[in-house]
Amino acid sequence: MIHGEERRKIDQLFREVADTGMSRRQMIQRAAVLGVSAQALTLAFVSGARNAVAQGGDNPLGVDPEAPLDIVIFQGGYGDDYAIFVKDEMYSRDFPDAEIEYVGTQRLQEQFQARVVDGNPPDVMDNSGAGNFNTTALFSEGQLANLDDLMAAPAYGQDGVTFADSLVQGSQQEGVFEGSQYVLKYVFSVYGIWYNQALFEEQGWEYPQTWDDMLAMCEKIKTETDMAPWTYQGLYPQYMRSVFDQLVYKNAGWDGILKLDNLAEDAWTQEPAIAALTALRALYDNEYIMEGTEGLSHTESQTFWIEGDAVFIPCGAWLENEMKDVLEGVPEFQMVVQPVPSLTAEDALPFSAVQAAAGEDFIVFSQGANVQGGKEYLRMLFSQEGARFFSEATKSLTAVVGAAEGLDLGTAFASVETAIAEAGENQFVARYAGWYADLDEESRLQMGNLLTGGATVEEVSETLQTLTNELRENPDIPKFTREAPGAEATPAS
Amino acid sequence: MNHHKYRLIVPFLLPALLLYSVFVLYPYVQAFYLSLTSWTGVSANKPWVGLKNYTTLLTDGRFLEALGRNGQLLIVLPLGTILVALAFAAMFTQGGTGIMGAGFYRIVYFFPQVISAVIVGILFQYVYNPRYGLLNTTLEWMGLESLTRTWLGDPATILWAIAFVFIWGAVGFYMVIFIASMQSIPTSFYEAAVLDGATRWRQFRDITLPLMWETIRTALIYIAIQALDMFVLIQVMTGGGSTAASRNAEVVAVYMYVEAFTKNRWGSAAAVGVILLILTMLLSVVIMRVTRRETYEY
Repeated sequence: MIHGEERRKIDQLFREVADTGMSRRQMIQRAAVLGVSAQALTLAFVSGARNAVAQGGDNPLGVDPEAPLDIVIFQGGYGDDYAIFVKDEMYSRDFPDAEIEYVGTQRLQEQFQARVVDGNPPDVMDNSGAGNFNTTALFSEGQLANLDDLMAAPAYGQDGVTFADSLVQGSQQEGVFEGSQYVLKYVFSVYGIWYNQALFEEQGWEYPQTWDDMLAMCEKIKTETDMAPWTYQGLYPQYMRSVFDQLVYKNAGWDGILKLDNLAEDAWTQEPAIAALTALRALYDNEYIMEGTEGLSHTESQTFWIEGDAVFIPCGAWLENEMKDVLEGVPEFQMVVQPVPSLTAEDALPFSAVQAAAGEDFIVFSQGANVQGGKEYLRMLFSQEGARFFSEATKSLTAVVGAAEGLDLGTAFASVETAIAEAGENQFVARYAGWYADLDEESRLQMGNLLTGGATVEEVSETLQTLTNELRENPDIPKFTREAPGAEATPAS
Repeated sequence: MNHHKYRLIVPFLLPALLLYSVFVLYPYVQAFYLSLTSWTGVSANKPWVGLKNYTTLLTDGRFLEALGRNGQLLIVLPLGTILVALAFAAMFTQGGTGIMGAGFYRIVYFFPQVISAVIVGILFQYVYNPRYGLLNTTLEWMGLESLTRTWLGDPATILWAIAFVFIWGAVGFYMVIFIASMQSIPTSFYEAAVLDGATRWRQFRDITLPLMWETIRTALIYIAIQALDMFVLIQVMTGGGSTAASRNAEVVAVYMYVEAFTKNRWGSAAAVGVILLILTMLLSVVIMRVTRRETYEY
């Protein structure tokens, strides 16, 4: 065994070898300069040849090839075949000596809370789904590893591209806390309004560009067909809250969203927010929402929608994958997504503006035994090879640029790609719900209230503004602020 | 002599006592300790806040409302379950073997007891489904369309729709217990009563009921404790959603879950747990006191 100073010298030597590609003679000379004994050098070759080579260009994060890796993956709508692929076909290929502990589960917090509290957490986790850890709380308690070195490292298998540059621009913004990257978002999703393209062609309908057009079309659907114009994921009104966010964004631009996120004094009373709430309330007032919607789960309402009971439903791009079993029974269904219509004809942003957010939160625990291994796993997951496998298996886009290029994965996938391309820079995601659990819960509830006639626009606006004010004044609640993306390019300090 | 006795007893008791302390007493003590901190549940860091969690809770309208719902369930669940279970038990034991097909009904009514509460909750989600559910379609078929509701999506009906499911599931179990209790009453009592010209109702009121009072008391306490919990059924049937309706079905145990798992306020959740523990113990004592009767021996 080689220890301490000697080890460090050998590591340095091998790094130089890998970086500069010196000859054997040069290397032995260099070893002499560094003061490494011939015996130690031989030992190092025998015991850690792979390690040594890996420390160079192939292993920019300096992963210990023999360190065991502990992976926990949320086994939700996307399954976990992709994570197993990366584990077996990539990590084990590069580090055959590393023993890998793998768990796919839906109950992350219940199963792993004790280990996290004890300071013995897994190394890397897909912290997603209803049973996940609160990311904000994990960050506040210092449990998340800083991923800045991963962002700066070269992308896996791509020459001359950093990891950060290999990802869709802006897609990782939500994982930034206090200027550093702590969470990586894997699946790139567009939120919008979904409908059946085949039905639209058959009826000769055009997707509405403004909210007034939307209401006019709803009236037409209501009077001329036996379908309901709208439905939503009743028990989980946050899907409609996302429509609200989009209406505000389109109408007021970043300014409107920043007010919500930064707990402004007029976050929920600003004119665009009132107008957006009024627009949504019109769906209830005119009886455009499918009867019984408020009592349905997300999968139930989405099933009724596919079966043709309702025309429009709000959702993110995981919809097709989530409903694939039901879709098999309705082969003529052509699922497509469009941006939420403009709130008015004079909106700040064009119709094509969308809520585009990457989801599936991957984190590395700061107290994990193999932090660098965890990061390396993510580097592989977010590679062309890993991401392409994911897209093919789930018909969903990842945050990795170009990984799904040339794949023909159906109408839904194509419409998502189109929406992203047409939106250009006009993409956003609101963060108030992720930052403040109380506001998340209450805004869902109020959104449900608004759409079932339980509260007026004024009541909703007032209730949420009051809560926003309380949160702002409460010193016990950790605060977050953000600026418009343009402003974020220049660091504050 | 005494000394010898203890030398024998202590080694036998010690392991059990140790296990009990570690797995039962210690968690209680720990929960109480946590309730005095602002632990977030994701690190070992547990800042001391004294009684703050308790004072915050007692002024939190949402917590008090949840408590109020437990209060309502505390009246409806025991009453509903015991009355129905008694009625069935009486029907199935009447005159020795009960009404025709009693054996069959006894088994059928016991079925829900062998299904887990989660499955029962999911099954009834289907029954209550606003569009294809058994309940609404039956009402429509009977021409009672005006009575159809979004049972689990309507703030006015959700709690009672769930309470009904509890009663549906619990009746069979208490029925079996009551039947056992009724059958142990000597038939000679009834024969004497019949000779004296007592009606069936008087037989039930003056012989059956007093002689099985202890059983009913036990049932009462047991159901009351369940009424203070109700977590599983409510969590499943509201889908963990946050809507005005699911808020109207939020009981203390659900509130505790939300505090812990969605708000990451484990200290506050522990305080809710401690309050729930105290309430449950108090309630048991009160019910035992209030329902104490002279016991009859036979």
